[in-house]
Amino acid sequence: MGDVLTARGLRKRFKQVTAVDGVDVHVADGERVGLLGANGAGKTTTLLMLLGAITPDEGSVVIAGHRLPRERSEAMEHVGFAAGYLPMPDRLRVREALRFYAGLYGLERRTADDAIQTSLERFRIGHLAEQPCEQLSSGQRTLVGLVKALLHRPALLVLDEPTASLDPDVALRVRVGLEETCEEEGTALLVTSHNMVEVERLCERVVFMARGRVVADDTPSAVAAKYGHATLEGVFLELAETGGEEREP
Amino acid sequence: MSGRRTWAVTRRQFTVMRRSLPKWFDMTMWPLLDVVLWGALGAYIASSGAGDRAGVPYLLAGIILFHVLFQTHVAVATGFMEETWTSNLLNVMATPVREAEYAIGLAIYGLAKLAMGMLTVVVAAWVVYRFDTASIGWTLLPICLILMLCGWALSQVSIGLMLRFGPSAEILTYGLIFVTLAVSGVFNPVEALPGLLQPLGRVLPTTHAFAALRAVQDGGPTPWRELVIGLVGAVVVAVLSMVYVVRMLRLFRARGFVTRFS
Repeated sequence: MGDVLTARGLRKRFKQVTAVDGVDVHVADGERVGLLGANGAGKTTTLLMLLGAITPDEGSVVIAGHRLPRERSEAMEHVGFAAGYLPMPDRLRVREALRFYAGLYGLERRTADDAIQTSLERFRIGHLAEQPCEQLSSGQRTLVGLVKALLHRPALLVLDEPTASLDPDVALRVRVGLEETCEEEGTALLVTSHNMVEVERLCERVVFMARGRVVADDTPSAVAAKYGHATLEGVFLELAETGGEEREP
Repeated sequence: MSGRRTWAVTRRQFTVMRRSLPKWFDMTMWPLLDVVLWGALGAYIASSGAGDRAGVPYLLAGIILFHVLFQTHVAVATGFMEETWTSNLLNVMATPVREAEYAIGLAIYGLAKLAMGMLTVVVAAWVVYRFDTASIGWTLLPICLILMLCGWALSQVSIGLMLRFGPSAEILTYGLIFVTLAVSGVFNPVEALPGLLQPLGRVLPTTHAFAALRAVQDGGPTPWRELVIGLVGAVVVAVLSMVYVVRMLRLFRARGFVTRFS
């Protein structure tokens, strides 16, 4: 099994602040990985560097054999991205917006329409197809964002806070839809979330970040055990408090 | 390069345009109001006996051709702003679309919007003042080409400023075009500008396009010199504007400015 994503030695400074400091991330084909950490840990900056939206000061990113930034377009053909905080474009109906993205992924019209219908049904939102995007609730917006990210059957799905501020029933639908997709299509997943229960259920491996560095990288149970907690929730709280520094004995 | 990705950008803009009142306003009301305003001014000045050159045709031709610049610039700049207004920039950047494909997609949409805007001004000038734009003759074509290139260049500068300074720079989109209107001698020779502005006016390719227009309207020979200077200048500013926007995009990525738009 090869790696769909390999990032080595990522480093990013914004003026005096080092946001990401020598981060290595890899995701194997079909693997589900959680990128975790408190606010300001460097997760989103790392994700944006993996997407080519931010240029790292140092380090390299290779996606499906394509190196960023030179082969960004080829690399993005293998990546689907969605973020819970991003709206869909105004003045477009859901189907029109999805056709727009399908076009950006280079899908032909018929393939795009089939993919849109299949993905809308997978997340049980077929009834939203003709709804104007600006009228979607935050939960509906997240689900449509996921549909958008899956249109071209990416090898890697990158999700930034996909279930933030969602009702538990919608969050469950997101998780189930993601599990189905990953299992049926062998899609790899890299997801950030503050919902540790969700991450424990969804991810096979977690990468914890604190103060711009990776401080733990293992299965959820192994990471919890390393820090002496029963669940990831305890690890998260400890790292948020200590910033990944060793505690005084 | 992918035609499908380019067409997706163009088609998205058309879909939005169908439902956007401000975009219809840009294509219909602004041109119509400009024709009525400048035509009325020209008619008044002509009736007061202020001189042959200050008649309706003189001002109408100026405002009609100014709309070539205006429509090209605004269509492309506000097309890009559709992404910033709806916080969609990151969604687009995370797809395989290349910068050139995106720019060409916007340019195709800009050309179509230009055609619609020009139809409005040309028809309005004919209906209201019986001014036949075709009477300018074939020189109209190189003049339009100069103005389209300059409109494209202005739109690239606007986009570059937005990438560099964030959404607050959107206001400069309309500001830039009206500065150009003021210093390009759309209705008057550059010598009529205040002395401090004249050097700026002389280096702008748009000034030479409008000077060529006046020369043709005066019944003189084909103003080759003005046309060549205008065309070369327009190509130079178009290239410089693209260099500028590419540099701003590089800076945008290096400094992580994408978070300003999401």
